[in-house]
Amino acid sequence: MTDRPAAEREPGSYRDPSGFVFRRDGVLYRQVNAVFAGDWAAFESSGLHAALVREGVLVADRPVALELAPEPNAVAVIQPDEIGFISHPFEWSFSQLKDAALLTLRAQAMAGEHGMTLRDASAYNVQFVAGRPVLIDTLSFERARAGEPWKPYRQFCENFLAPLALMATRDGRLGQLLRSWIDGVPLDLASELLPRRTRLSAGLAAHIHLHARAQRRHSGDAVAEDAVAPRGVTMSDTRRLALLDHLRRTVEGLKLPAHGTEWADYADQTSYSAAGTTSKEALVRRLLDACFAAGGRRAWDLGANTGRYSAIAASAGFEVLALDGDWAAVERHYLALRAAGERRIMPLLIGLADPSPAIGWANTERASLIGRANADVVVALALVHHLAIGRNVPLPMFADLLARLAPTLVVEWVPKEDPMVQRLLSAREDIFPGYTVEGFREDFERRFEIVEEAPIDDSRRVLFRMRRRT
Amino acid sequence: MRLVFAYIDPGAGSLIIQALIAAVVSVPFFFRNAIRSTIGRLRRKPAEGSGGASGSITPEDAGAKPTAAE
Repeated sequence: MTDRPAAEREPGSYRDPSGFVFRRDGVLYRQVNAVFAGDWAAFESSGLHAALVREGVLVADRPVALELAPEPNAVAVIQPDEIGFISHPFEWSFSQLKDAALLTLRAQAMAGEHGMTLRDASAYNVQFVAGRPVLIDTLSFERARAGEPWKPYRQFCENFLAPLALMATRDGRLGQLLRSWIDGVPLDLASELLPRRTRLSAGLAAHIHLHARAQRRHSGDAVAEDAVAPRGVTMSDTRRLALLDHLRRTVEGLKLPAHGTEWADYADQTSYSAAGTTSKEALVRRLLDACFAAGGRRAWDLGANTGRYSAIAASAGFEVLALDGDWAAVERHYLALRAAGERRIMPLLIGLADPSPAIGWANTERASLIGRANADVVVALALVHHLAIGRNVPLPMFADLLARLAPTLVVEWVPKEDPMVQRLLSAREDIFPGYTVEGFREDFERRFEIVEEAPIDDSRRVLFRMRRRT
Repeated sequence: MRLVFAYIDPGAGSLIIQALIAAVVSVPFFFRNAIRSTIGRLRRKPAEGSGGASGSITPEDAGAKPTAAE
């Protein structure tokens, strides 16, 4: 009893009184509280728990000893499978958020078939595992009661439908509103920002525009004693199914307009000759093989664009996080991976110049990018000039950041003569006298030891493999 | 006790509008399912035993079951 390691509650797990997530000795567990015992038992006995896990809709878990519970009143403790990297909904592209929305509705449909229902529909309850969305909140299900409306309706509209509609009909960048609103995009704001024509689309007119109006009109309403059904709002099973079916059709009907951005076309128009590309691919493979042989398993590809080098990292054996700040590149990458059934690469919308901040209660509810750093290897190809010249980041600061992200680094030096750098400098004064390969080496050697240096054929670019100094 | 079950605020306006929307969309929902199950029944008759009754039930069909209660 006494030598049991202390339990640490996960900072994002405080809202739901039915249980919480904690770590002991680094292992992730979930406590189920006595107040939720009835629903938990129904979740098990209805077969829903097993069905959801079997279908890959819910993260798998195993029951563990009740003594592991850190707080009294526990009726069960489970150990869910660990997620490789916890991503946030504002780091997903349109189709990732859409797949997460459809997964949530599928979970609800399965729950319905087992006499149960979802009790919340937060996008944070979904994570991506091996390329597919899964629900991670095992306590999200409760017994359905006859005549009950769908309680997470509002949450679903704010977390999924509103940002998806804004991205599809207004601008793909508007998914970033989720970075400001942890509980989802307020519907009055979504209604205001959506184009007028969306008032003619039955789904968006109903679930966003009318919904926002109803919220405004009833905002001051006293909620009746029965918090679930103020004014006795009830709904037959058929009507609830019809509503969910309509939500699903509305989500499925949302599509991004088919046009790329400057960035998404970038992969096809690099400054390399064919020989240079072949050389770079072979060298990247060689350096990553060496990193893998040294024991690395998780790679972060920074500025991954549509994932040409993420694929090389994956084929070298890595689990890859492919980060890029351009939503269209991330969207394209995700669609290509999904079509190919690729499970080892996860694209995320994260730009290194302004990475995801920590948000929510006490700035700890959802961790920052750096707070989630778990890579063994960071890959930074064709990135240095965008930060050093495009964003005025001094090279020593770039080295500092990379050193915080991983112990090993594969980085590409792009010299000033390179056409891509010349393009960045074409409209501005060259205020970067220190931007030379000698300066780069010197600045990086303060943080890293250069293990290998490999010039790319038919180009003046150089690849480096480095190890962080301890 | 009740608070546990409704730990997210469903919102008064959201509950009211969802009931209205559900009432409206349940009409086409009902007819779609009726048409689908009729087609399904007609198809199943000529090709008896080829698919099996349970194998051809889709989530939409499952949703059609409680329509009798409406």
